[in-house]
Amino acid sequence: MVLAKPIVETADLKKTYILGKVPVNALRGVNLKVEKGDFLAILGPSGSGKSTLLNMIGALDKPTEGKVFIDGVDVSTLNDNQLADLRRSIGFVFQFFNLIPRLNAIGNVELPMAVSGLGKNERRKHAEELLETVGLKERMKHKPAELSGGERQRVAIARALANNPGFLLMDEPTGNIDSKTAREIMGLVKRLNEDEGVTIIMITHDQQLATQATRIVKMLDGSIIKEIDQL
Amino acid sequence: MKVGDVFSYAFGAIRLRKLRAGLTTLGVVIGIAAIVALLSISQGLQVTITDQLQSGFATDTLIVSPGSGGGMFSGVGGGIGGSGSDFSLMVTDTQLINEIEGVVTSAAIIQEVGYIKSGDRTVQAYVVGVDFEVYSEVYGSTFVAESGEILLNPEAGTVVVVVVVGKRVSDPWQNGTIVCGVNGSVEIVWTNTTVRPAENKTYAVTVAAVLEEIGGLSLTGPSDSAVYIPISQAQSFFGTDECDRIVVKIANEDDATIEAVSDAIEEAFSGQVSVRSSTAVLNTISSVFSTIELFLAGIAAISLLVAGVGIMNIMIVSLMERTREIGILKALGMKSRTVLAIFISEAVIVGLLGATFGIGLGWVLANVAATIFTGGGIAVATGQGAVSGAFAITPILTPTLLMGAFGFGIAVSVIFAIYPAWRASKLKPVEALRYE
Repeated sequence: MVLAKPIVETADLKKTYILGKVPVNALRGVNLKVEKGDFLAILGPSGSGKSTLLNMIGALDKPTEGKVFIDGVDVSTLNDNQLADLRRSIGFVFQFFNLIPRLNAIGNVELPMAVSGLGKNERRKHAEELLETVGLKERMKHKPAELSGGERQRVAIARALANNPGFLLMDEPTGNIDSKTAREIMGLVKRLNEDEGVTIIMITHDQQLATQATRIVKMLDGSIIKEIDQL
Repeated sequence: MKVGDVFSYAFGAIRLRKLRAGLTTLGVVIGIAAIVALLSISQGLQVTITDQLQSGFATDTLIVSPGSGGGMFSGVGGGIGGSGSDFSLMVTDTQLINEIEGVVTSAAIIQEVGYIKSGDRTVQAYVVGVDFEVYSEVYGSTFVAESGEILLNPEAGTVVVVVVVGKRVSDPWQNGTIVCGVNGSVEIVWTNTTVRPAENKTYAVTVAAVLEEIGGLSLTGPSDSAVYIPISQAQSFFGTDECDRIVVKIANEDDATIEAVSDAIEEAFSGQVSVRSSTAVLNTISSVFSTIELFLAGIAAISLLVAGVGIMNIMIVSLMERTREIGILKALGMKSRTVLAIFISEAVIVGLLGATFGIGLGWVLANVAATIFTGGGIAVATGQGAVSGAFAITPILTPTLLMGAFGFGIAVSVIFAIYPAWRASKLKPVEALRYE
């Protein structure tokens, strides 16, 4: 069996913030590989550096030291425009949904496709399909304020899938919704991974949630302390 | 991202904050309206005044007045003329001028301010002494009788002195109340202030003709507000052989002829006279208007700049509110230049709306103002507050003004949006997403 290039790889990744005058080592040399089709949970308490790691993998922030490779490309060599292009191949799902309030559900799902320059009809059709996938077809004309937390997160997931990304990057996707809805969302995420083969990287502080993943990486104080393969 | 999508996204953002966007746009509307109203009125005024002047002008004439470097208004009223030397222009100096090449003929003009008395009615008027024959040759289109007949050589064989009166003297209130009509007997009263004590002189005359209405301000040519008497009569009535000015008809009205004849005349009088062409007077007036327009445009532009500062202010506030949104857009892969384009587009929309409504409002204001002015009758004194004429101003919106106002409105909006838009585009996605 020929091993494909890992979709995400970090090499001795370090990030130091200056908080006031005190340097904070958020990441202290993280080495991580994510293969296509993985469902990886990054588990750790708050302050363990998991969000910082997510920002690096999502090409939202630059490391102090070390390298991030996405689909084999060294992120540090990219300029602003190339980074923007790269981000289109990543599907972000945030804890606080981060939908655009003035756009309705379908408008939010269409947005990444509009950013990519897709035509109106094409993106409308695809957005409808995606909202159907997440089970929100009937509510696609509703604005985020008219949707429940769970529904909003479904919209956010549909939006993350809009540009057929290489992987989904989820930051505490159920952190802001009730446990019953959270289970439904996790069901959806699992289905996407198992049925559609979507690669998923999810950070969470919830041990229970992490067990849904096929791989778990435990982080503490900016380092990976344990890797569990659940397969 | 496609241009259409950028605009529709920007438009959506504007629609979300209707009141704020409306007030921002209002600033542009006021600025543009001020520019359009002020400039269209002043252009209308310029055209009106120029037309009025031209109707009383003959462009193939030169005005010779005593004194070097005489003022442009050295004609009617005779007050502002160049003086300061002992030199006087004599009635007989026309002979000298007539010999100059390029001169067709010339008429000496003696002019004073006096009164016309008819029964118990008195009207102030210019009393102008000219040679009717020559004068009607020089001003063939304006020195024309509406009723009666301008006798070209009236003193020959007549005992009673006949005069020609302007329309405004005959019918001063423009309502048919005729002070002096053809064949009417009137008195010309003139106060000689050069003797002590001042002495009123009266001159009984018969009206031979009433001129057609000339309209206009008539700085140099025949005027609605004048009474014309034969030059020889004027000489004896006013007790002088000096004239106020000599009007010269030239063979050709091109610049070369005007200049050559002007120089020749000045030379003939050893530089003691100033020569003005009607064209030069018109040019002076139009340059005065250009200056006024520039000044008005400047004032209006200031209000637009204030609107620009308002746009900048609002956009910076809006930028702070939308930091998180920008973070989301960047996380979705939007390029910095697209973020810039969205913010600039918002400014373009504000500028476009502001300019459109501003031009409309400015045009309405200009017309309202013009109606008020015209209805009330702007009195433009034609000299010594003696006689005034009301005229209508029609605001003029030239394509240049239209396009200029449009372009300026959009340009100001965009220029003041550049800084906030640039700041928005430079936001770091991770920091923008963290922004509360």
